[in-house]
Amino acid sequence: MTALATTLERIVGPTHVLSRPAALLAYRSDALPGHRLMPSLAVMPGTREELVAVVRALAADGTPFVARGAGTGLSGGALADGIVLLGLHRLRRILAIDPAARTATVEPGVVNATLTRAAAVHGLHYAPDPSSQTACTIGGNIAENAGGPHCLKYGVTLNHVRRATVVLPSGEVVELDRGDDGGYDLLGAFVGSEGCFGVVVDATVQLTPDPQQVITLLADFLRVRDAATATSRIIAAGIVPAALELMDQATIEAVESSVYAAGYPRDAAAVLLAEVDGPSIGLADDARAIEQLCREAGARGVRVATDAGERARLWQGRKKAFGAMGRVAPHLVVQDAVVPRTALADLLEEIQAIGAAHRLRVCNVFHAGDGNLHPNIPYDADDPDESARVHRAMGEIMARCIAAGGTITGEHGVGLDKLAYMESLFTAETLDAMCALRAVFDPERRANPGKVVPVRSCREWHATAAAR
Amino acid sequence: MSGHTGSGVHPTLARSPLAMARAGLDRCVHCGFCLPACPTYLALEDENDSPRGRLLLMGALLEGQVRVDDAETGRHFDQCLGCRGCESACPSGVPYGELIEATRTTLAVHRPLPVVARAILSVFAELWLLRGLLGAARLVRGSGLARLAARLLPRRLAMPFAMLASTARPAPRPYDATQVRTAAGTDSHAMPDRGRAALLTGCVMESLFTETNRATERTLSVNGWRMCAADEQGCCGALHAHAGDRETARSLARRNIAAFAASGADVIVMNSAGCGAMCREYGHLLADDPQWAARAAAFAEKVRDVSELLAEAGPRPPAASPGHARETITYDAPCHLQHAQRITAPPLRVLAALPDAQLVPLQDSDQCCGSAGIFNLLRPEVAERVLAPKLQHIAATGAAVVATGNPGCLMQIGGGLELSGAACRARHPVELLDAAYARAVRPD
Ligand SMILES: Cc1cc2nc3c(=O)[nH]c(=O)nc-3n(C[C@H](O)[C@H](O)[C@H](O)COP(=O)(O)OP(=O)(O)OC[C@H]3O[C@@H](n4cnc5c(N)ncnc54)[C@H](O)[C@@H]3O)c2cc1C
Ligand code: SF4
Ligand code: SF4
Repeated sequence: MTALATTLERIVGPTHVLSRPAALLAYRSDALPGHRLMPSLAVMPGTREELVAVVRALAADGTPFVARGAGTGLSGGALADGIVLLGLHRLRRILAIDPAARTATVEPGVVNATLTRAAAVHGLHYAPDPSSQTACTIGGNIAENAGGPHCLKYGVTLNHVRRATVVLPSGEVVELDRGDDGGYDLLGAFVGSEGCFGVVVDATVQLTPDPQQVITLLADFLRVRDAATATSRIIAAGIVPAALELMDQATIEAVESSVYAAGYPRDAAAVLLAEVDGPSIGLADDARAIEQLCREAGARGVRVATDAGERARLWQGRKKAFGAMGRVAPHLVVQDAVVPRTALADLLEEIQAIGAAHRLRVCNVFHAGDGNLHPNIPYDADDPDESARVHRAMGEIMARCIAAGGTITGEHGVGLDKLAYMESLFTAETLDAMCALRAVFDPERRANPGKVVPVRSCREWHATAAAR
Repeated sequence: MSGHTGSGVHPTLARSPLAMARAGLDRCVHCGFCLPACPTYLALEDENDSPRGRLLLMGALLEGQVRVDDAETGRHFDQCLGCRGCESACPSGVPYGELIEATRTTLAVHRPLPVVARAILSVFAELWLLRGLLGAARLVRGSGLARLAARLLPRRLAMPFAMLASTARPAPRPYDATQVRTAAGTDSHAMPDRGRAALLTGCVMESLFTETNRATERTLSVNGWRMCAADEQGCCGALHAHAGDRETARSLARRNIAAFAASGADVIVMNSAGCGAMCREYGHLLADDPQWAARAAAFAEKVRDVSELLAEAGPRPPAASPGHARETITYDAPCHLQHAQRITAPPLRVLAALPDAQLVPLQDSDQCCGSAGIFNLLRPEVAERVLAPKLQHIAATGAAVVATGNPGCLMQIGGGLELSGAACRARHPVELLDAAYARAVRPD
């Protein structure tokens, strides 16, 4: 046992420090298990004081670390390569809910859906609803600036965080806010920093009143292109749906075979799941307009959920779709490109063509309203030939998305998985500016090193390294 | 890029049950949806004690990354309750229950079961021994010693006595089916004959919950079933199968298959969710036994939970008894009913038929109470941590009765309530229905 491990054990107790390789295996990946890195130690503080003490002990020792929430990330962001893994899942207390101010203050390990459940008695909910919301944590959401189906209308995590207490890698505890009273929006810089700027100790988030009425529609199409066309027409018509999600046939098939079967038509080429919500006045008109636009674009049928139970089923199917693909093949790659909505119809066809050319099946399930694509390819990693084809296909798909004016991540973050694309997307100057911003929070680069910005593209870092 | 690569099976485990069940492991996409559904993850706060972590350890065992005799890894498997809450949450359909049993069977060769577990299992396999011991337990209960011990002993030692004390019931008030029908104003011919039903009387049920078994028979008779007996039946084998002792489970299964075939029953009734889940698995358990496979599958087809039979056509509503005070009732879903057998609505329909009850929802009723067969005897400290939130949620409902259809849960929750001095009682749904029929015949 190293001296550091002993120190950490003294802070959090021996059961919450893991150092045996067999015990660390469970922490070697997030929800993208193709990336695997073994931490040297895992430490799991149970209180705010323990967390701060742990970060200070790591600072004193000069040891780099990686924060981890629930490990549902899809970019390998929470992986620690021979350094300390800082598990935050035990910090799961809701510290306060203020129904009058419509805010909640929570520890970082609180699960997203747990917060919404606790707020429900006040007629409130936490609006950002990543599909992983039953498992992912608020700390992880802040680090990834997570989105979700309903972020189309309500905005992403950034729009819902008011303030946060953060322990910087140096051990200093700071309060970050949106700079509303003057000064810089430091919280804005922190949200989406993928664990590279420090660790959320607690956060105050905004709660949203439950809408007076919700109408959920399911439109089914015999051509994927028609579903994409309907999407851009709905947005162009000036309607702001609460959510607008597209699933193709391969995805429908996986969901319908699972415990979350929602009654999507198995023979449809694609379905659009659309929702409008808000005050009852005028809502039915919006729903009718959506139905009309879908039919004009070629929808075979449009179904309206009749009660809360049916609505919940339609949404559960969508939200568990990624998980359901495990039944198609043992392994899965997922991408997270954002493209202009008007390019969706063409891009989806090109993606299918790329898949076909490499003899692969691409399953699409995504936030259509935002143009946030998630092409998934189920495959068998034990088959080297197939793995190579998957790798090539994903590269081509990403290149097409970038060429169409898109970007490489909408909500899953860069982490480890998208690192290679950063240099093709940003200039050296931009990457340098990112490094400079990071240096404000973490000059020693001890928090989640080696993620987001490729080290080699950091000129300033090279300069200091050379000077050393 | 995704996926584990180069995943060859380690030679020592090449033909192991775990290697055979391997395809199930491959289904896990590591999404983490099962984490919040797992009571041991919530209680122990280590991913190694979560479904995703345990599945990963199974893979690591197979690939030889972890040694089969690694005690710490074994402990994470031992600490699994087998509640299968993870299966109900898993979008990918990972057959977790099957995998944990395969793992335990595989490891049993390399890591013998602890002495206490072996002792308990062998008692359950021997009818005469079990009956004797449970008979003695009944004497302790009857003498009031159990309750006394529960009060006086330190908490850890007190729990088994509290569990035993909680199984005590007031004297039965038998009635016969026609009386109930007359009281309800319907003549006896109005209820069609639904067929012949034989009850798996079970080991713990018949000894400690004798009255619940009788209540099961009475309520089914009221609802049109003709009860018949299956004499040579015994333990269902669930405890053995869960612990990895597959061979004993198989021989117990054969005994029951023969006994129920002789009874001529159309359906085989369960009032213990744990036994029901096991009996439905008989086909699978004996699939590779050419002499028994077909009979086992036929047996499994006939298995029904008592709540299903009662809910199918009713249940016949008991007449309200004016003198009886209205009671608040809440329902806790046994894991082996909700997750293993996917039976959720029928018990609620039984409770909804009670004339003098108000049903209130229980938060996290789909989470395990920590009973899990003999788990609470083997790992009392973990079981207690799993039980704690359950007791809090029950207290928050203010209910006078918590209904649940499994002897293990009745004792775990009952014992916990007993120790905490709560006024709330744990009861089987059929007991409540039976009492309501009895009151309708002879008001109290
Ligand atoms: C099935 C499925 C569906 C998904 N759907 C969506 C979706 O719709 N929208 C979406 O945006 N994402 C989605 N995701 C991705 C993922 O759930 C989100 O990125 C989520 O925010 C990660 O949270 P986590 O707690 O699991 O974080 P982890 O995976 O544990 O960590 C993610 C990153 O956050 C950092 N981090 C964690 N906690 C803290 C903290 N307290 N302080 C500082 N840094 C921290 C880590 O270092 C890491 O870089 C999905 C994932 C899955 C498996
Ligand atoms: S929910 Fe299923 S697929 Fe997802 S991690 Fe758990 S077991 Fe694996
Ligand atoms: S069976 Fe229960 S205790 Fe075991 S891993 Fe699944 S949810 Fe957890």
